[in-house]
Amino acid sequence: MKKRLLILTIVLVILPLMASGQPATDDLVSSCVLAAGENTTYLKDFRIQLPKASQDAAVPVYKANMYLMKNMKYRFCVCDSPESSGELFITIYDQGKEIISSYNSSSARKYSSVDFICNKTGLYTLWYSFIGGEQGSGVGVVCMIR
Amino acid sequence: MTGTIIKIATVILLMSFCSCRNSSVRQGGLTFPVADSVPAAEAEKLSEEAVADIVQNIASPVEIAAILQSMQIPFSAGYLASTQEADRLTTNFRKAVMLGIYGADLGYLNIYGKTGNSVDVLSAIKRLADGLRVGQFFDFETLKRLSTSKSNLDSLLFLSVNSYNQIDNYLRNNDRGSISALMITGVWIEGQYLATQVALSHDDEILRDRIGEQKIILGDLLMLLRPYRGSSEEYGSLYDMMEQIRAKYAGVKVSYKLAEPETREDKDGRLVMVQNEESIVEMTDDQLAEIAALSKEVRNKLISGN
Repeated sequence: MKKRLLILTIVLVILPLMASGQPATDDLVSSCVLAAGENTTYLKDFRIQLPKASQDAAVPVYKANMYLMKNMKYRFCVCDSPESSGELFITIYDQGKEIISSYNSSSARKYSSVDFICNKTGLYTLWYSFIGGEQGSGVGVVCMIR
Repeated sequence: MTGTIIKIATVILLMSFCSCRNSSVRQGGLTFPVADSVPAAEAEKLSEEAVADIVQNIASPVEIAAILQSMQIPFSAGYLASTQEADRLTTNFRKAVMLGIYGADLGYLNIYGKTGNSVDVLSAIKRLADGLRVGQFFDFETLKRLSTSKSNLDSLLFLSVNSYNQIDNYLRNNDRGSISALMITGVWIEGQYLATQVALSHDDEILRDRIGEQKIILGDLLMLLRPYRGSSEEYGSLYDMMEQIRAKYAGVKVSYKLAEPETREDKDGRLVMVQNEESIVEMTDDQLAEIAALSKEVRNKLISGN
């Protein structure tokens, strides 16, 4: 009987709480777009939710492929959900080579955004992950700087 | 008794999953992407994987317009597709392509601050989006209200581009990739039409570069369309037309000049990276003229449906 009650408790109480605990991502996207500042135009957003890295495993990463164009200036902003344990950062790769990251692990410095002045049109890969492989949720916003 | 509890639990579990899904769509917050654990050592493989993966930003409804505006090219309503077409469309194929075309036109109007003119385009977009069952992502009333004042331009741009992104995500996540590919193609062909038509009368290196670099992007666009080309005659015809545009790019050369990037902090403490590596486009006037003519022909065929 205790077992049945436990199942019902999980279903009726804990699951709805988990559902309501999901981030209001649209509000977060809007505030992140605002944080990008004036003279920017929103292009894309990525909603990120990653689990904590398990021991001896690679840090969870959300990756997205995006065309970036020559003669354009882009701003990549990252914003954490209020309930996120981890701090989100972005690393941009060009043909597998890291070109810029909003987190410098050697100095432990984290930037809330990075600007990329693009001179080469091509497909770039955006990696989003949380510092230290923490569990977390947040959004990444890409804007062009006018 | 145990069986009943398990049944109740199963129903509630299913309901809670369904309600999560609905609420996320209502908020526009689609389901979160599945985590991808990629060891750093595999980074170099990403470019190959990238081609097979979903590619973002193949066609942006606002970037071409922003370039034209920065060149101080005057706005011309003559470049816009007629919104009367929206009522004549019966197939999802044509609705999806036109949704993309009107999306690019809306970006052009908004970037130039011609918000008063955008109500017709917004109405056409709303009708098409409803027809494709993605109208829930267009807050038409808010967009219409924002378009009455130039002071709301940033909000209008954000809401309209965000609506397109949400539609695209929704279609891809709901096994309607064929519709998404058509919408993206519509955005691309209208942007290409705008850029090439302006380039014919305004010689500008940045614009020429942008047109020439579409050679790189066209390959991925064709890859998006390829799985569906056999699904209908009109899809097959679209694919062939896009292949013909790619063929016009055969003689256009894109080369790269290597250089080390520079990274600095700006006065606001923001990290700025200047990429000194450069892509260089070589395209003759004849090549540009042929690409422009075919792009216009394909765009007009897609609009007229003939």
